[in-house]
Amino acid sequence: MSLYGSAVKRPIMTTLCFVAVVIMGLFSLNTLPIDLYPDIETNTLMVMTTYTGASAADIEQNVTRPLENVLNSVSDLKHITSKSRENISVITLEFEYGEDIDVLTNDVRDKLDMVSSMLPDDAETPIIFKFSTDMIPIILLSVKADESMPGLYKILDDAVANPLARVSGVGSVSISGAPKREIHVYVDPARLEAYGLSVEQIGSLIGAENRNIPGGSFDIGSDTYSLRVQGEFKNSEDMANIVVGSSGGRNVYLRDVARIDDSLEERTQETFNDGERGAMIVVQKQSGANSVEISNKVLKMLPTLQKRLPSDVQLGIIADTSDNIRNTIASLVETVLYALLFVVIVVFFFLGRWRATLIITITIPISLIASFIYLAATGNTLNIVSLSALSISIGMVVDDAIVVLENVTTHIERGSDPKQAAVHGTNEVAVSVVASTLTLIAVFFPLTLVTGMTGVLFRQLGWMVTIMMIISTVCALSLTPMLCSLLLRRQNSHGKFYTLFFTPINRGLDAFDNGYARLLTFVVGHKMLTFIVCIGIFVGSLFLMKGVGTEFFPTNDDGRMRVSLELPIGSRVETAKDAASRLAREWREKYPEIMVLNYTTGTASSDNTFASLSDNGPHIISMNVRLTDPGDRDRKITEIAELMRRDIKERYPEFKKAQVSVGGMSGMGGQATLDYEIYGYDFAETDSTAQLMKKMLEKIPGTADVIISRADYQPEYQVDFDREKLAMYGLNLSTAANALRNRINGQLASQFREDGEEYDIKVMYAPEYRTSIEDIENILIYNAAGKGVRIKDVGEVVERFTPPTIERKDRERIVTVSTVVQDVPMSQIVEAASAEIEKLDIPQGVSIQLAGSYEDQQDSFKDLLTLAVLIVILVYIVMAAQFESYTYPAIIMTSLLFAFSGVFIILWLSGHTLNVMSMIGAIMLIGIVVKNGIVLIDYISLNRERGMSIRRSVIDGGRSRLRPVVMTTLTTILGMVPMAVGTGQGAEMWRPMGTAVIGGLTFSTILTLLFVPMLYCVFAHQGVKRQRKAHARELAKNK
Amino acid sequence: MKTIFIAFDQAHYDHIVEMLERSNCRGFTSWQDVRGRGSVDGEPHYGSHAWPSESCAILTVVEDSRVAGVLERLRALDMERPKLGLRAFVWNVEQSI
Repeated sequence: MSLYGSAVKRPIMTTLCFVAVVIMGLFSLNTLPIDLYPDIETNTLMVMTTYTGASAADIEQNVTRPLENVLNSVSDLKHITSKSRENISVITLEFEYGEDIDVLTNDVRDKLDMVSSMLPDDAETPIIFKFSTDMIPIILLSVKADESMPGLYKILDDAVANPLARVSGVGSVSISGAPKREIHVYVDPARLEAYGLSVEQIGSLIGAENRNIPGGSFDIGSDTYSLRVQGEFKNSEDMANIVVGSSGGRNVYLRDVARIDDSLEERTQETFNDGERGAMIVVQKQSGANSVEISNKVLKMLPTLQKRLPSDVQLGIIADTSDNIRNTIASLVETVLYALLFVVIVVFFFLGRWRATLIITITIPISLIASFIYLAATGNTLNIVSLSALSISIGMVVDDAIVVLENVTTHIERGSDPKQAAVHGTNEVAVSVVASTLTLIAVFFPLTLVTGMTGVLFRQLGWMVTIMMIISTVCALSLTPMLCSLLLRRQNSHGKFYTLFFTPINRGLDAFDNGYARLLTFVVGHKMLTFIVCIGIFVGSLFLMKGVGTEFFPTNDDGRMRVSLELPIGSRVETAKDAASRLAREWREKYPEIMVLNYTTGTASSDNTFASLSDNGPHIISMNVRLTDPGDRDRKITEIAELMRRDIKERYPEFKKAQVSVGGMSGMGGQATLDYEIYGYDFAETDSTAQLMKKMLEKIPGTADVIISRADYQPEYQVDFDREKLAMYGLNLSTAANALRNRINGQLASQFREDGEEYDIKVMYAPEYRTSIEDIENILIYNAAGKGVRIKDVGEVVERFTPPTIERKDRERIVTVSTVVQDVPMSQIVEAASAEIEKLDIPQGVSIQLAGSYEDQQDSFKDLLTLAVLIVILVYIVMAAQFESYTYPAIIMTSLLFAFSGVFIILWLSGHTLNVMSMIGAIMLIGIVVKNGIVLIDYISLNRERGMSIRRSVIDGGRSRLRPVVMTTLTTILGMVPMAVGTGQGAEMWRPMGTAVIGGLTFSTILTLLFVPMLYCVFAHQGVKRQRKAHARELAKNK
Repeated sequence: MKTIFIAFDQAHYDHIVEMLERSNCRGFTSWQDVRGRGSVDGEPHYGSHAWPSESCAILTVVEDSRVAGVLERLRALDMERPKLGLRAFVWNVEQSI
């Protein structure tokens, strides 16, 4: 027995099956976490190696290059980029999408093991970092403090960071801006010399004194006691009393040659919140944990944590990404509900019967809710992609049910009982319902196969829509006939309301049908004219293509900005603090939209991984700005960003580099950037090319924040040792260099323990003895024989300039000139810049390549175009199989031309660009648009089989199929309207897609209703003529 | 004994079986999914793309006295739903076992 037969026969089973699906769906919905994007599996690994004290060039030579050479052989590697900065080497490995990152991580680890022996002894073991959206901090907390400032790190660590880290799902909590305690032993070089001591000796003595040593156990009588020496310093002052040597028969104490300074790290990062000194706490989630849930928990804990803090320490929120997620999801849910409402209204308007409307609209919630089961089963989240899949599908899931219901109604009107009509009516259309679903699946299923970044985003969309389509078809073939058999009546009695309301509607619809029939008669009579007009419109729209710019992703307004500012290199941190505070004050007054403004400056300590991954230094200021919600302000985030850029340019000349980036921390949805990569080994040549590029790009309208990635040359002092002289004194270079390092950077002597915490004890020259070149020159180094030699006797201190960061990509040195694309389509700037680059005089050995969003865009567009071709072929195959003809599908496919015309026309009119989102819209159109053609051609050929003439078949068929075509088109269009006009958070992302679908569908439906019947006429006539000729030939032969 | 051959749109099936029951005609033979076309008007029942509807046929052998009643009821059914199509033909049974 068929599906619909048993469904009609067993209504209780059918109902309960669907009730079960709905219950499971709702249960799944309940457990679904909320997130912004689908979990984007990371394709990036970072290898970080610290080598304290080394300059950029040293790091490049000794750390980065050996590592790069080995890592380059890891399979599936796309790009290898590196940054060699003072103290640290960061290598980024970018892999092809879709590879198993765990396997790759193991590969990388193996390679690192191989090379670790080749690294300098002082370099720390390379650390591997995995990057994914999970790494994006979910909450940034600001901390304001006054008196507690010196002890802030410990206070925050104990009272805030540790409790927060215990919240389930929180990955890591790091504190920046609060300096850590450190104990300095500041020695006086003159006294050391007088007593014949060295920094190294003092360091090792402190290490030897600060010890707890177990002495074993021994027996006294019948008891066993353990023996122990507790020599660790109880107090940092204890250290002053250790004996470091003797002179003239008297003890020399540490206090005689040094002072103990129990304070904070010397060079640290400082954070200011709303102008006040404080700290920043960064909360990251565990991989796979739900950000909204965690942020709720964290926010709930804050008041309790606040109570435990000293009264001057105030916690606040700088950024809460879950806020954005919640708002975006809420606005999308609203969109889905509006779409549902519109579809119900359209169905009711066309059918005029509430029972019929109910039967059809019930398929919407069922198909939508069933898709939640898929989401929960595959561990996905409720995110932008899955929700917009719902929004897209609402208009399409009703189509099958409409077709079934219509045919069942016809049967009933002919005299069948509802029960019989339901079975036989469904039976007649089952095949075509399945075929039309297949065409849609042919469009959406390939979306699950896209690779790259876009693939990650649209895999879920493809699956969701495919699943919803299948469910809706199953629904249309079982639930719909069952409901028809129960709810529809043979005799329809209409109430007063119906007569009053629907008589004019029906009259209007009849007039619409007749008008279309008249137009169709005209079209069929003037085939050439129609052909020329339609093709003319199509060709004309192609010219608009030039007027529609292209970009990667639309800019998203999530109310978050990041500003990074750079003073000339070598500026003291005080200058940076001053400039930043002036700017912050000005902006707070000027832009009331700013809710929170926080900034950080200074050098990050090497053990704060989060801070040291981003650029930092005494001359660098990084600012986080949080604006009010987009609904609560008039100015868009891009407008404010533009004004801010102008402020910096006009009134803050001290900033050498300034970058205002929109879109907070998420990679997608920010303003697009164009990166011009300049490859070349020679610093001078690449630098001058980069300068030329910068000047050139600045002149092109629409560019902002043109930045050269390579920082300025840093002045530094270098000690050039004379190896012969060193050898003469019995020294070698590394002994001499290490001695230098121990005196200036400090020697880590031991750890001071207190309350379970460990603090570094560092021995170094007191600050006042390391302020001039003479101080360096006078440093005394002892050789193995205990004889002291001054630096100036074995070497020379010279000033040189070195590039502070050496960037490499694919093992070549590189400089990137990047620009933000502001208010104009990216393609415009690319065109203008390409023309200019042609004219540039580029030195030999230097090459320029375009990367950044443009590269991503090109990759994605290529992927999507391949996909479009694949989809067109698949759809053709499905249609050809259904019609058993090569011609009909080709005729139907012509409606695609008008769909693309429509997309270009509406993009041009609305000022949107062609981006990934609008491309996806256009691809979806392939399936939606051919559906209209299928309905039309199917009925026309049915008419012909019934014996009508070609002309009558076309006109009659067109007239009777007009309503279903318009109805299904309207449900899809109106389902998209809320998306296209949405103003909520995140709406920027989906607006181009909704707009493209609406434009393409409207335009192509109108033209399809005229062009396709006309083409059918032409081909059918040809067929008939051919038949006649064959017949005539046969007759002639017989004669 | 008379044979009544009834050809009709398959939507009628339940009604006709029920009618036979009411008319005390127990025995019948039926064929599902049969194709055909009326002599005068009405849609063909071909089960094809152009004419998707299908017919049913029933052959019943009844006492002579019951024929009139059965035909009467069939006519009423046909009048009630003229668009579906229902025809009946009666002939003699010569022998049976």
